[in-house]
Amino acid sequence: MSDRPGKVIGFCCNYTTQVTEEPLKEAGILPESVEFKRLSCTGKLEVSSLLAAFSRHGADAVFVAGCPEEECHNFSGSRRASKRVKYTKQILSELGIEPERIEMFFVPRQETEPVVKAAKEMLSRLEKLGPIIKKDSNNKEGNDSGKAA
Amino acid sequence: MIIAERKPMPEIMEMISGIKKLLILGCRGCVAVCSAGGDKEVNIMVEAITLGKKLKGETIEIDQDVLVRQCDPEYLEPLKEKVKEYDAILSMACGVGVNFLAEQYPDTLVLPALNTTFYGANLSSGEWKEMCAGCGACVLHLTGGLCPVARCAKHLSNGPCGGSVNGRCEVDPNTPCVWQLIYDRLKRLNLSENMRKIMPIRDWTPSGEGGPRRRVREDLLP
Repeated sequence: MSDRPGKVIGFCCNYTTQVTEEPLKEAGILPESVEFKRLSCTGKLEVSSLLAAFSRHGADAVFVAGCPEEECHNFSGSRRASKRVKYTKQILSELGIEPERIEMFFVPRQETEPVVKAAKEMLSRLEKLGPIIKKDSNNKEGNDSGKAA
Repeated sequence: MIIAERKPMPEIMEMISGIKKLLILGCRGCVAVCSAGGDKEVNIMVEAITLGKKLKGETIEIDQDVLVRQCDPEYLEPLKEKVKEYDAILSMACGVGVNFLAEQYPDTLVLPALNTTFYGANLSSGEWKEMCAGCGACVLHLTGGLCPVARCAKHLSNGPCGGSVNGRCEVDPNTPCVWQLIYDRLKRLNLSENMRKIMPIRDWTPSGEGGPRRRVREDLLP
């Protein structure tokens, strides 16, 4: 597999990690292809935002790192996020995309290592799955032969 | 309210195959309340279609809008000029909205994003249950407020049938027999005598068997 199996976007809540990806990348802990998006709470995430990570922001895999299920700072935020990840998996499956490209991780609060571990788990999955747009697929972008109504 | 659910994505992707410019149109009526076609669901549909098209290497231009209701002409009126810009409208309203749009804009292709399923109540967040069949001849005053037309698999007027076992329906043991529920409720209300009243053979004409139904109130007509 190549050095860059694909882009990973991780949505992290304010309480799961205080660290942005830059120092982790500078320290060689995370590759360039990982991007963190910080939220006040993962419960704020919408299914459309998770799908947009794939459809608009170039992600090949997405993870959500929220507080432990029973210890969410905002009571039920990470549980809600988990349900939305589950629904996103369903939509991905319906579109013929591997649902394991998105995952919810309940991680201890204020610790960076579990979030890094989650990112590495997704990178590891990408090594098996490859990019979301397969190079050998019949990509017709810019050359659409579909018939307009 | 009217309950609906999103069609599977492969069906929607097939429907919009070849469409270059699409308007995804939500509704803030019943389908917003049952989380099938409101603002949030329109946002999800936009991203799902964008992703589906990206995967196929196809391009599509998508606009989105959400109307207060799709079943009232006053809310459709502002779309009059706008619809001409699109190859199709993917309506996220119930079937009523889709029909009404299609009638209002005869030159525009209108596609349904939802399957409209039943008239139901919201039991809890994410759970809806059929309560009314819109049969046009309500008998709830005789049945303790519980509907045998909507909630009995056989629509029996004088139930229960022989398949009611331990208060459960033979069609689905997870479903309570509504006639058992009616009996229990009438007994609780000291109205058990209602069980002895034989309902006449049902006239299904008001339920739509006589063709599409229409209601007119002269006093409200313009």
